[in-house]
Amino acid sequence: MIAHIRELLKYRDLLKQLVVRDLKVRYKNSVLGFFWSLLNPLVQVATITVVVKYVLRLDIANYSAYLLVAYLPWVFFQMALLDSSQVLIIHRDLLRKVYFPREVLPLSAVLSNLVHFLLALVVFFAYLVFYIHLILHGSGILITTLWLPVLVALQCLLIVGLTCIVSCLNVFYEDTKYVLAVFLNVCFYLTPIMYPAELVRSWIGTWSVPEVYKTVLYKLYLLNPMNALIDAYRKTLLPVSELKLRETPIEALPLDYGTLAGAAVICALVAIGGYAFFNARKWVFAERV
Amino acid sequence: MSTAILLSGVTKVFDLPHEKQTSIKAAVLSFRKPPVQRLVALDDVSASIEHGESVAVIGRNGSGKSTLLRIIARVYRQTSGTVEVNGRLSTMLDLGAGIEPELTGRENIFFNGAIMGLSMPQIRAKQDRIIEFSELDGFIDAPAKTYSNGMLLRLGFSIAIETDPDILLVDEVIAVGDAAFQQKCYRRINEFKNAGRTIVFVTHDLTAARSVASRAIWLDAGKVRADGEVKSVIDSYLAASASKEET
Repeated sequence: MIAHIRELLKYRDLLKQLVVRDLKVRYKNSVLGFFWSLLNPLVQVATITVVVKYVLRLDIANYSAYLLVAYLPWVFFQMALLDSSQVLIIHRDLLRKVYFPREVLPLSAVLSNLVHFLLALVVFFAYLVFYIHLILHGSGILITTLWLPVLVALQCLLIVGLTCIVSCLNVFYEDTKYVLAVFLNVCFYLTPIMYPAELVRSWIGTWSVPEVYKTVLYKLYLLNPMNALIDAYRKTLLPVSELKLRETPIEALPLDYGTLAGAAVICALVAIGGYAFFNARKWVFAERV
Repeated sequence: MSTAILLSGVTKVFDLPHEKQTSIKAAVLSFRKPPVQRLVALDDVSASIEHGESVAVIGRNGSGKSTLLRIIARVYRQTSGTVEVNGRLSTMLDLGAGIEPELTGRENIFFNGAIMGLSMPQIRAKQDRIIEFSELDGFIDAPAKTYSNGMLLRLGFSIAIETDPDILLVDEVIAVGDAAFQQKCYRRINEFKNAGRTIVFVTHDLTAARSVASRAIWLDAGKVRADGEVKSVIDSYLAASASKEET
């Protein structure tokens, strides 16, 4: 694996060029293009805010920020996987005609989405400071924001691992992208994005099992890396706020660093496993695409 | 002279599925395996090519010439045997191989340089020579999708040869160029050869093979039928083709 990574590093200029080209196409060479690309997630966030706050009556201070902080990492996850599922097919001519480390292609899809995610985070912090803090007098930027690079790095590991598997499968099974789209759709509702993880904890609380199991079950739930990461983004970037569902208070839980560490190990394992899976198949791509 | 390319017992088998059963749905729903046809594209090919040699690979369609080049280029992996390549490779396996239609000619120079593993400053230094050789002056900043086949050849060949590789692999593309550019390519290949570099090219243009190559490898149904001095190999290839026509 080390030899593979060393070979990959020699091709970092190629990786850079692919990422730059991706972003140029995406933003159509303009700053306005970047804001245009934010329109879709912002409309989604506005819609969900209205539905959850007023229809479902989940009462959380500054819900729009609360949602955005989870939704942006989710979009990064979703778009990187969807883009990379196509990337080997799109570049079939390159694969069939020239040598280069094949992982450059899925990595370029991850990195261009990472750049997009980081730019979107800048917009998020601007929103936090100028709207939530200065106008609504809510909290500004917290000291725990220092965790952000760690969380982004962990998410990148997870995405790289999954991306390696998905992009590879799509070469052998052409309907991978459809199955993936359905899977991501389901995951969007199962991951605590629109609602806090605490609601899941309080639901588990109503089950008729011994109290010890309830804690264990919730820890297992938080070992799912996306659940853990979304929960951690939220709890490090925003202050603990009172949660109320239809006037009933729900206990707000602090960030569980222990299970986050567990989820981090899983992210690393997914990255190593996914890369090994990809490497074992990458020289057949040229014959199959 | 040291060895540039060493092939020993290289065999390549393709498993070609008869039906295109490549979906998760089909894999889940059908229990039988799709029938697979085995195609032996290369059968125990061995050859040693020294630095400074120019080798023409000849043979009928489907004899494994392109597969051999792709295996040397590391685009395909051999089923068995070993391939050893000493030196930096530059390949032109197809017209417009590696040329991205949406990028301009100039951007493609940088993109292809990166594919060959060159750094930005290295490519920048070679940029002018590439553009000059390609004669694409007025069109270099136009998107490659607007190029004709001849222009694609000129851009691709210029990038391949002006990036100073130790070994150049070219698959039957020069024939697309006009007479003047073909002459220029072959002249440049001769210079390249005289500088001690290695070239392996697939061609059906036997006149060009005679004048450019010093050695020819004749592939027949994946096997090496003859390997040696260019004129004698071509003569026996022509004799065999003629006798096949009579029967």
